[in-house]
Amino acid sequence: MAIDPSKIKRYSHGSRVPGWDEAADLSKDPSVVPDPATTYVPDHVREAIETLMAKYPDVRSAAIPAMFIVQREHGWLSPTAMEQAACVLRLTPAYMVSVASFYDMFELTPKGKHDVYVCTNISCSLLGADGVYARMKDEMEGDPDFNVRAFECLGACDIAPMASVDGVYVGPLTEDDCAQIKADIKEGREVLPDKQLAKRKAASKHWNR
Amino acid sequence: MPRPVVKEITFTLDGREITAPEGMILVDAAGKYGDTEIPVFCYEPKLGQPVGACRMCLVEIEGIPKLQTGCSTPIRDGMVVHTQTQRVHDAQRAVVEFLLINHPLDCPVCDKGGECPLQDITYGWGPGTSRFIEPKRHFKKPLELSPLIAIDRERCILCYRCVRYSQEVAEDYQLVLQQRGAASYVSTFDGHPYVAPFSGNIIELCPVGALTSRAYRFRARPWDIEGAGTVCAGCTAQCNVELTVRDERVLRVLSRDHSEVDDGWLCDKGRFSYQAVHAEERITQPLVREGAELHPASWEKAIEAAAAALKKAGDRAAALAGGTTTNEEAFLLSGLLRDKLGSSHLATGVGGEQPLDVVRALADPKLQATVPDLEFAHTVLLVDCDPIDEAPVWDLRIRKGVRRHGTKLVVASARPTALDQNAAATLRFAPGGAEGFLVALDAALSGDAGNLGGAASAAGTNATAIQEFADALRAGGEEVVIVYGDRALRGSAGRALLNIASRLNLANVANAGLLELPSTPNGRGLREVGFAAGHGPGFSTISAPGHGAEAIASGLASGDLHTVWLHHVDPLRNYPNRPAWEKALGTAQTVIAVESQLTDTVREYADVVFPAEAYPEKEGTITHPDGRVQRLRQAIGHPRAASDVPGSGVRALWQVISDVARELGHSAGTAIAGAVVSKRVFEAVPFYNGMTLDGIGGRGLRWQEHATFEVEQSDPFVLAVPASLPAKGESELRLGTFRPLWAHKDVDLSPALQFIRAKQVVELSKADADARGIGEGDRVEIGNGTRIPGTARIRAAIPAGSVFVAEGIAEHNANVLTHGIVEVHRVGPGSTDATSIPIQSTPAVEGRAEMPPSAGLPIPPREVT
Amino acid sequence: MPANIDTILFKDIDEPGLNTREVYERRGGYEMLRKALKMEPSAVLDEMLASGVRGRGGAGFAMGRKMSFIPKGTMDKYLVCNADESEPGTFKDRELMQKNPHLLIEGIIIGAYCIGASKSFIFIRGEYDYVADILDAAVAEARAAGYLGENILGSDHTIDLVVHRGAGAYICGEETALLDSLEGKRGNPRLKPPFPAVQGLYQGPTLINNVETLMNVPVILNMGGAEYAKIGTETSTGTKMISISGQIKYPGNYEIELGMKTRDILFDLGGGPLEGRTFKAWFPGGSSSPVMPLTEEVLEMPYDFDSIAKAGSMLGSGAIIVFDDSTSIVDVCYKTAHFYRHESCGKCSPCREGCNWTEKMLVRIKNGDATPMDLDIIESVCNQIMGNCLCVLGDAMAMPVSSMIKHFRPEFEAYIEAKREEAGFGVAIPQTNRGAHAGPGPLLQPAQAA
Repeated sequence: MAIDPSKIKRYSHGSRVPGWDEAADLSKDPSVVPDPATTYVPDHVREAIETLMAKYPDVRSAAIPAMFIVQREHGWLSPTAMEQAACVLRLTPAYMVSVASFYDMFELTPKGKHDVYVCTNISCSLLGADGVYARMKDEMEGDPDFNVRAFECLGACDIAPMASVDGVYVGPLTEDDCAQIKADIKEGREVLPDKQLAKRKAASKHWNR
Repeated sequence: MPRPVVKEITFTLDGREITAPEGMILVDAAGKYGDTEIPVFCYEPKLGQPVGACRMCLVEIEGIPKLQTGCSTPIRDGMVVHTQTQRVHDAQRAVVEFLLINHPLDCPVCDKGGECPLQDITYGWGPGTSRFIEPKRHFKKPLELSPLIAIDRERCILCYRCVRYSQEVAEDYQLVLQQRGAASYVSTFDGHPYVAPFSGNIIELCPVGALTSRAYRFRARPWDIEGAGTVCAGCTAQCNVELTVRDERVLRVLSRDHSEVDDGWLCDKGRFSYQAVHAEERITQPLVREGAELHPASWEKAIEAAAAALKKAGDRAAALAGGTTTNEEAFLLSGLLRDKLGSSHLATGVGGEQPLDVVRALADPKLQATVPDLEFAHTVLLVDCDPIDEAPVWDLRIRKGVRRHGTKLVVASARPTALDQNAAATLRFAPGGAEGFLVALDAALSGDAGNLGGAASAAGTNATAIQEFADALRAGGEEVVIVYGDRALRGSAGRALLNIASRLNLANVANAGLLELPSTPNGRGLREVGFAAGHGPGFSTISAPGHGAEAIASGLASGDLHTVWLHHVDPLRNYPNRPAWEKALGTAQTVIAVESQLTDTVREYADVVFPAEAYPEKEGTITHPDGRVQRLRQAIGHPRAASDVPGSGVRALWQVISDVARELGHSAGTAIAGAVVSKRVFEAVPFYNGMTLDGIGGRGLRWQEHATFEVEQSDPFVLAVPASLPAKGESELRLGTFRPLWAHKDVDLSPALQFIRAKQVVELSKADADARGIGEGDRVEIGNGTRIPGTARIRAAIPAGSVFVAEGIAEHNANVLTHGIVEVHRVGPGSTDATSIPIQSTPAVEGRAEMPPSAGLPIPPREVT
Repeated sequence: MPANIDTILFKDIDEPGLNTREVYERRGGYEMLRKALKMEPSAVLDEMLASGVRGRGGAGFAMGRKMSFIPKGTMDKYLVCNADESEPGTFKDRELMQKNPHLLIEGIIIGAYCIGASKSFIFIRGEYDYVADILDAAVAEARAAGYLGENILGSDHTIDLVVHRGAGAYICGEETALLDSLEGKRGNPRLKPPFPAVQGLYQGPTLINNVETLMNVPVILNMGGAEYAKIGTETSTGTKMISISGQIKYPGNYEIELGMKTRDILFDLGGGPLEGRTFKAWFPGGSSSPVMPLTEEVLEMPYDFDSIAKAGSMLGSGAIIVFDDSTSIVDVCYKTAHFYRHESCGKCSPCREGCNWTEKMLVRIKNGDATPMDLDIIESVCNQIMGNCLCVLGDAMAMPVSSMIKHFRPEFEAYIEAKREEAGFGVAIPQTNRGAHAGPGPLLQPAQAA
């Protein structure tokens, strides 16, 4: 009587939402707050999270920063990573995944090492961001070193079209810059040094007026 | 803590002046006082603060430009509200149209159809047509969320009720919303099932057919069924329930919201163990042992056999009562033994009995706390009990108090409790150290440094810890509620408890006091109607006190006692020291058992077996631990015997006892109707005087509010330091036991709950586990001489030196262990070391962009401990 | 040129090392903090009220009044700086924080002193990682110098500051969603009332202000509130950072006096349209403001809160996105709807379902599977969203989308017909029958009637 999932009709415009078709696995135990006695947490992770917890009046505030820590540690927010963070914070892993899945910067599936976020919002797309994104994907797709994502406005419309490469904002990009970005990362160089936003002067100065 | 005081105000609703209590939420005020329904989906006051998410309840309030949500607006004096303007109607229709965008039109096959708020609201407030011509989302359905609950995400309208429940009421944080926006869905972590003591409540909360009971799915339609109100007699919390009955079968249990008893929640045991009522294994006719075998017998024969045995035993007869025994049955049975046979060997509790003056003092109405007090007190003290296992809904009530009213919770127990995370202070004493703890706490409160040190070390802790705990107990305020399990009351513990109450002046503080957690569901009622060794109905003095449970066992074993009547009691499972009871029942001349299934006790030892009624078949009264007398109402007929001859099946137990009394010539103990017995109970117990079944009605009556019970006041007792705990060697551990919520025979018989039947677990600390090379989930053996197997569960909260095992379970029950000091060792190979688990580089399931493999519904549920 | 007013926040913005305490102090930094600590908190508040400065985050609520709502007395109060700058087109706070972090920190400390908060937070969006690093370093410097921590500058005030990084969600720019996110939850907006000033972060009274607003605090204290109020127009005082982006020659941040003419902004500061193009329309205040065609009349309009509101749009965060004749309005409309659908938190049904539905209809239009009547439905759905949501995100989608249809309906219709033909569907239902499709009842009538 099991329904063959592949027979269920899917629509091209994304009406099938990830997760909605997933049942609970009844062979698993319920997921409660991980017991410190049986959950292994590396010491440096524990220390880093505990430092965070001390910064806030309510430890729950440390949940998001803590997930950045375990995401860096594990490469993505694997169930193990979630359990480790949950164990130190004394929260359930379900709470963590609920929060994590709300935000764009947490990855609940394995991802490439280097994050390349290409802004495809209005200002950037007015200046050709969609082409840059397509090219970026062509260059990097399938390479386990890269995690190329189309991102909503990254707050740097002055250098549109732009991308954030491991947190470094670069722009304005041309489609040809994509290969250079890939090469720069591969070689461990600074990414497009002359196009980095951090080195740019305020607009009124920049235009020499 | 002050409870809200209400003032009446007047506001205008659609042009009419309405008077209602100030601050009431507009939706409620309009419905209750204004006769106007404002539709809601997400609003549910039991879930805490309104969230205003569904936007269904938009109304127009003069002076505010935007439409406001009626579910979040408290009414104020002079407010002018419109619910019937075009603007409001447009907004409501818009919301219904939005909600129906992705809701499938499968009402004809939906379980909720006919009792569905979305259906009703669509008819009442919806636009009638939809302009959404895009394809709706289609998903696989139904999916299992847990062995008990099916989830149909197509139907979900994301009202947030279930996830709010999990986070703000049950506080298990297992059921959450994932993703955001239109992609949000209700789920758990990494495919784990939502299994928690209270998970079933989300089925009742769901306003659409998204969450359905797997046990009830497709069993009935709303027009097939009738609702029958009664009280769940599964545990001492006595939640008010409504049974869904179709063709004389209970198909579902719903909550019958009573804020002074259960606050509208049910535990999964209460919600799903109704299946035991209709289990194949039920005994439906009397059995009598002939030779070595039990054979079905006619009622006449069984009654005759029982009467003969009791007559022969005379004052050497004894009786134990527990389980769902009603006040009426207890009254008749104790009357039969005491008045006719001259025996007061009547026991209900698992422990020994406290002296009569202590029992009376503990029943003092001035010292009696109520269930709502758990929520509103300044401080709640738990003494050696864990409500989650013994009275589950109290756990939710205490959490509610801590979360919403800032109640301080302080916990003193041997085993870590489920509420520790919410506690302002916790104190761990050694298993068996409850008496020492109470004496030490008394000393700390009175400043008796001499007793403090000695008693603290007798409890396996130290004076500083006790002193700090006492300070925490006092810090919150004068309203203190002490919740104690009756297993804690041994030796001088009762007197110590009374001392503590008087030192905290609880008798003179309103909303403060003591609340007992009896070990049987109707423990309080049994005692009050006189089913006790030391007193008669209403705690009256009797001339010849009898034996408690332990003495009955030894009396039977030694031959001093001849016959024992086990009324809804299974001593081999539920009483400590199984070997002693095996000997006692083996030696007894006659064992008369009232039982619903062939337990070990019945199969091996019973000579006469009367089929027990299930609680939906019972008529009578039971008494809540806070003194509320509640009615059990018969919802379904008694099952017939296999032979199907009318009259041969299960009979009302008051009638059975009455028939036995008639056979014995005890005319005072006979009755022609259940209501007659109830009347007699109300007359016999002084503080029940004046009660009637009608007066008790559906909501119950607390006798303390209508009657008095004078208790002689005495000065605080002078207490001696209790004997210290037995010494233990380096490699040994102190044994503590606990009774899991799921350790119940009805759970064993309910197909839906098979997966969660309590199995033996051995809980020990990390240090003790490491010292023995035991890993999480390893098979271990525990014991001293006699050994039982179990699964190791390592918990950081368990203090080193103690080990806890489950009692009251069907197999490998801890009550075969008679020694308080045990050894634990591993059997078989060990499990892997946690530090060796490599970092995951791939997800456990396929990437979510692709369809994950998902099993169909009929997966055999794995049993979890 | 008009831009040559004395810049305030942008003064010497590119001076090397301005982000260090040393340079900042050399330029007179943290003097205003010393001055404030010698004043009564209420006197500081009076200056803020006198300045009339309005919040720079988008809503434009007077900052002094917001401060005055914070209850007095000893309780746990909080100040939160909203640096979750996510509105498409907005990037002013990024540059300000990156280049002059100490001005923000000084503003926060003075603000916290003014309302009596001992704990303050900067909630910065997670994507601004490198800016957050700069802030972290600046906070450490300020703490080392005794500006933050216990007994600041020898007074008996304790003010702590934590830089909290978000994790990528536009909705966290909404103040109550930001509070939830800061508390470690999903960033869902809360029901108001209670307002954050009464019950905000950790249930305590909380003042939430934008980066630019708080940076103005030391400035106001320096100039005096009354003096500050003389800059700009009567109801829009002070200078305003504007972010110009899109199809324009010189995109970037500019500091202007409010009330400047739109033409001056777009042509003098922005340098006018790209070679060979002409301006078509603009978002005057971020992607959530209704789009206005750039007519002569609009170009003459002064750029301030009230004038733009009167013209039917809003100044918002001061983010100007311009697009020219080479761009199809349908693409802009789709991008806008797509963004808000993606960023809707999903808490309330009109926004969650309405944004989703609108985007789907626009996808159909782009695929050539729509008729002009779908425009009526889009407008009607936008009307159903507006004003019925928990927070303003739903309105933020509905306003620009419906404004685009309102102003550019012929272009939409032509687009639909062209796409239909491309997809082989043929000409859509004649225009005269429009409205019939939308069904009966007042709810279902075309938006123009409503």
